[in-house]
Amino acid sequence: MIWILVIVFIVALVLRYPIAFALGLACLVYLVCADIPLILMPMKMYSGIDVFVLLSIPGFIIAGNLMNQGGLTEKIISFCNHLMGHIRGGLSLVNIGASMLFAGISGTAISDTASMGSVMIPAMKKEGYDADFSCAVTAASSTVGPIIPPSVPMIIAATLSGLSVGKLFLAGAIPGLLLGVGLMVVAYIIARRKNYPKHPKSSFGQVARGFVDTFWSLLMTFIILFGIIGGIFTPTEASIVAVLYALVVGRFVYKKLNFKNVQVVILDSMKTSASLMVLVGFANLFGYILITEHIPQTISSEILGFSSNKYVVLLLINLLLIAVGTFMETIAALLILFPILLKVALAVDVDPIHFAVIAVLNLIIGLTTPPVGVCLFVASSIGKVSIGKVSKAGFPFLMVSLVVLALVTLIPEISLWLPSLFTD
Amino acid sequence: MRKGIGRILKIGTLLSTWGLIAMVLLQIVCRFSWFDTPSWTEEASRILFIYAISFASGLALKSNYYVHLDAFYNMFNPKLKMLLDKSIPVVIFLLFAVFAFYSIRFISLGMIEKSPSMGFNMGVAFCSMFIIGASLCYYAWHKIVKAFKRKGV
Repeated sequence: MIWILVIVFIVALVLRYPIAFALGLACLVYLVCADIPLILMPMKMYSGIDVFVLLSIPGFIIAGNLMNQGGLTEKIISFCNHLMGHIRGGLSLVNIGASMLFAGISGTAISDTASMGSVMIPAMKKEGYDADFSCAVTAASSTVGPIIPPSVPMIIAATLSGLSVGKLFLAGAIPGLLLGVGLMVVAYIIARRKNYPKHPKSSFGQVARGFVDTFWSLLMTFIILFGIIGGIFTPTEASIVAVLYALVVGRFVYKKLNFKNVQVVILDSMKTSASLMVLVGFANLFGYILITEHIPQTISSEILGFSSNKYVVLLLINLLLIAVGTFMETIAALLILFPILLKVALAVDVDPIHFAVIAVLNLIIGLTTPPVGVCLFVASSIGKVSIGKVSKAGFPFLMVSLVVLALVTLIPEISLWLPSLFTD
Repeated sequence: MRKGIGRILKIGTLLSTWGLIAMVLLQIVCRFSWFDTPSWTEEASRILFIYAISFASGLALKSNYYVHLDAFYNMFNPKLKMLLDKSIPVVIFLLFAVFAFYSIRFISLGMIEKSPSMGFNMGVAFCSMFIIGASLCYYAWHKIVKAFKRKGV
């Protein structure tokens, strides 16, 4: 019977049904075939989204969008340009650096690719960078976002596992920085080889002005992080404090927010949140069906039957998650696979926080993995370059991401050191 | 009619979101002042959140916010693409028609329950599921009409 669920879901995905509705449709067909009362659909949707931690997601999205309304993307890019523009291939470093700073604000890779790419790709092309390289750098750098706090996938992982959101945020910080620095090194090497342009060095005053411009928005990330870690706020409260902070900064510092555009930003943010929550609701039903069919236990025993060696199991999980991440949006994949695979990881003594970082990292790397990585598609459409060319130019960046993934998988301290400094 | 429903959903989304923000701020303010945090604020914020999501879910379909997989679709021939463009909204309409129908039964189940801290009828909270089903149905219907007005298959 479970095959009906899986087949309908995969066919609907391939036919371009929205992922949330593909899940819902698969569940509906399964429930009808299994003669299970259909009232389970609204019941599980309700219980899936009636979770207090999930309230933080719209808060973070609204805060990020309010900041962006104040021209944050341009301000961050300008600051990074003053800081790194004088290095050979400076704009590619700016692209990655700005994504790392922007990461704390937006929290999802696809929105980073779209917002950063629409500014950076045309600017890089104009300065003589190859279009495929510009697109590849943009796609690769946007994967840093979802792992650096505040991260929406980490909130979802916390919801699914009951782990502390604050600890998961901290666990993602060092892997995120490592990924960003690794991408910068590769971009620099390529830029030197291709002799890409550099800007004149900015004066200290320009750098300082750039810092002041972005300071207020960057402070928001620290308020969120230290508010949660310091036990001052719950994640939900931190997200609402971030909204209030973004309103005050946008109105009185950047002077870009008024009553009308705040309502537009809130509406847009709630549409994004609603599309995620309908997905969460149907994934809750999907997960319930998988549990009643004992699928997590079956998959767990199959993998552990193949090998009970921790590293072999992690390798298998990594391969599976990268493959899935290539095709599927991060949060959808996380909702479906994380609870199942966490069980396997716990069976081989992997720390759940370490595993959450591995899972998120895998899925975001999948976003830039050819042939169908979603970020590659977004960047290639902005740069008007074929996906094949962008994939080829993005190969060195993908290799660096895989090296970082291997390090994070093999050395748990990379993820666990920071959270270990803060006990409950 | 269409504008009216869209406006109701927008106002519902905005009011619930501002309500949610106010509730969470009340929790924070109470915790850092000498007042005790009212026990109902957590429940109220969760219900406002679910309502905000419910009102926005249809609007999200209207504005194409639901993520889908383009990789395979791009390989299909134009005829199949056009067929899918017409059939997908029909299936979404049917899916959420079923969802909305069973939401009514869900609401009637809620009528005999009281919310734990606020003490109101849970049917009120479960109404949010009907709003999700009905609003998605409504905008799926508009997509069907739009798709069939286009020339082709």
